[in-house]
Amino acid sequence: MREILYLQAINEALAEEMSRDETVFIIGESVQGSTFNTTVGLVQRFGPDRVMDAPISENGIAGAAVGAATAGYRPVADLMFGDFIYCCMDEVLLKAAQWHMLHAEKVNVPLVFKAAIGGYSGLCNEHSRCPEAVVLHHPGLKLVLPSDPYDAKGLLKTAIRDNNPVCYFYHKQLLPMTGEVPEEEYTIPFGVADVKREGTDVTVVATSFQVSLALGVAAEMEGKVSVEVIDPRTLEPLDLDTILESVRKTGRVIVLDEDTLRCGIGAEIGMQIMENAFDFLDAPVKRVGAANMPIPGGVLEKTCLPQPQDLANAITDLLGMDRFELAVQTAGVKLL
Amino acid sequence: MRFKKKDLVRLYRNLVRARKFDQAAIRLLGEGKFTSFFHAAYGGEAPGVGGTTFLRQDDYIYAHHRGHGIPHAAGKGADLFSFMAEHCGKITGSCKGITGFHACDPEYGMLGAGGTIGSAFPVSVGWGLAAQKAGKGQVAVCFFGDSSAGRGTMHEGMNMAANWRLPVVWVCENNGMGQFVPIKDAYPLEDIASMAAAYGMPGVVVDGQDVVAVAEAVMAAVERARKGKGPSLVECKCLRFRPHVEGAPDWVHAEVRPAEEIERLKKRDPVTLYRKKLLKQGILTEKELEKIDGEIDAEVQEMERFCETGAYPDPSILQNALYAD
Ligand SMILES: Cc1ncc(C[n+]2csc(CCOP(=O)(O)OP(=O)(O)O)c2C)c(N)n1
Ligand SMILES: [Mg+2]
Repeated sequence: MREILYLQAINEALAEEMSRDETVFIIGESVQGSTFNTTVGLVQRFGPDRVMDAPISENGIAGAAVGAATAGYRPVADLMFGDFIYCCMDEVLLKAAQWHMLHAEKVNVPLVFKAAIGGYSGLCNEHSRCPEAVVLHHPGLKLVLPSDPYDAKGLLKTAIRDNNPVCYFYHKQLLPMTGEVPEEEYTIPFGVADVKREGTDVTVVATSFQVSLALGVAAEMEGKVSVEVIDPRTLEPLDLDTILESVRKTGRVIVLDEDTLRCGIGAEIGMQIMENAFDFLDAPVKRVGAANMPIPGGVLEKTCLPQPQDLANAITDLLGMDRFELAVQTAGVKLL
Repeated sequence: MRFKKKDLVRLYRNLVRARKFDQAAIRLLGEGKFTSFFHAAYGGEAPGVGGTTFLRQDDYIYAHHRGHGIPHAAGKGADLFSFMAEHCGKITGSCKGITGFHACDPEYGMLGAGGTIGSAFPVSVGWGLAAQKAGKGQVAVCFFGDSSAGRGTMHEGMNMAANWRLPVVWVCENNGMGQFVPIKDAYPLEDIASMAAAYGMPGVVVDGQDVVAVAEAVMAAVERARKGKGPSLVECKCLRFRPHVEGAPDWVHAEVRPAEEIERLKKRDPVTLYRKKLLKQGILTEKELEKIDGEIDAEVQEMERFCETGAYPDPSILQNALYAD
């Protein structure tokens, strides 16, 4: 099968959906040129009316997407960095998320908030965040976190077709990742987890870039520990069944997440596991996430964000084994 | 404000410092010595330098992100060495290497910085409020880009400052671009200064490549603010010779900005223009200018040694850093 980049997979999904449905359009800052190369070439194909370079107006962009979506269009609001979602929380968390239910289901909000998330390149707290828990804490928004090119494409196509607001967060560290993506059209349904690696000793639940991190650690520990890596792919809806099935098999689970540990994905998924599979657990659920602080830049970043060695330590601690030194203990490449 | 010879010389020195430190930053980033990114000021140093050189040490400034505030810090007299060391991620940096790019020099009225566009406006209102309450005649000068004016926070900030007649001066550095988008495609009028009318404050447009013109206009607004007459908006039409961020393509929408276009812009280099002016007016001789340039070259070398020799911070510095005692 042909291999393409993660960023190309995103680009293809946008192009295909824009050709398929003329109500789809992109609105965002510098999307005709493209900050992360995901919208490259689209303005030449679809014109500036469907690939709209907006002013630096996050509230305007997100709010316009809500308005256009309620009036029959399918906007993809490109918020550039995931961190900029903080500038337009009202539109995202209070307008998009609540509109359908509070208006007695008379109006739909079919839109995508697309943003590049994640750290590991030393850009500090306002260009590194993973605002997953914030989104998840406001029911009404679907949340998609692709971890490879295949998922990036299939999930974005589903996101654009969904009749609800979807946060589609792609990870900056994954942009240059290559992977097999078929030429033929496909979509990936929401709420279906993918077992990225099978194992028997411990389950690691991770999304986005953390899947790569977990797979790397699992490969290096092969022969000593058999690690199963589960990628829920969408956190809302969440495929709890696949997670529970794995936990029933391994009896031990770590939730690995790049967002801040406190009140994070680990707390939520960990609790759901306890509520639903407590009897199958041989040890308490463990969480690995970002330290409870603003993400520092520079060399201090790695003390905050989860590193491969942190996961390896969590695994050996959970299994009561001696610590295992990884060859490469930290993750990430500098972006600019 | 009438500038004396020594003022004009100081302005030159600060402008050249801004230029040479910004150039050094571009080089250091290229050499992989920066831990973060860099948005060069090259070509657009005059608004930051002209807008700060004659401020009081206790005036507040919110620097614009071009040069990450090197021109503004240079004009304000803040410590450029620690600012550069911050970019190198060293413990000797202005934020001990915790941010990798924020200036913070409270002694010089630089109380911090941010990475989200538009955050400057409301925070500057707070500095204006503090200045008004303190009653010592301080002002807050907020520097922002043309395209930053698209943020709703600008409206909130400008309205609050005007409504309460706060001593805030808004300085727009209009380089015609916001990342890949020309301002003409992001705002329907010619001048950002025309926004001032909406808040009943003066709005003027100056040649942002002319550092003296900037200094005159900003200081007029500053004097007005010090007298309790409220905020003003000064728009400086300036230029950007580098891509938006180092290492990224230099696009205008989806097209690469032509090299000839940049060469054409370089004919209006603010340093060259000011040198010519000083020579023509007989304020400084070629030799005197070269002496200043040489001194700053030496300062840049010293700065690089300072950055090089500093240690990287130990993670333990974060242990009790989240809250004040
Ligand atoms: C809230 C927010 N939106 C977008 C960005 C990304 N960004 C950083 S600088 C910039 C362009 C700013 O343009 P302008 O205000 O004209 O300043 P210039 O860089 O041209 O000096 C953009 C879009 C950001 N940092 N924060
Ligand atoms: Mg600009």
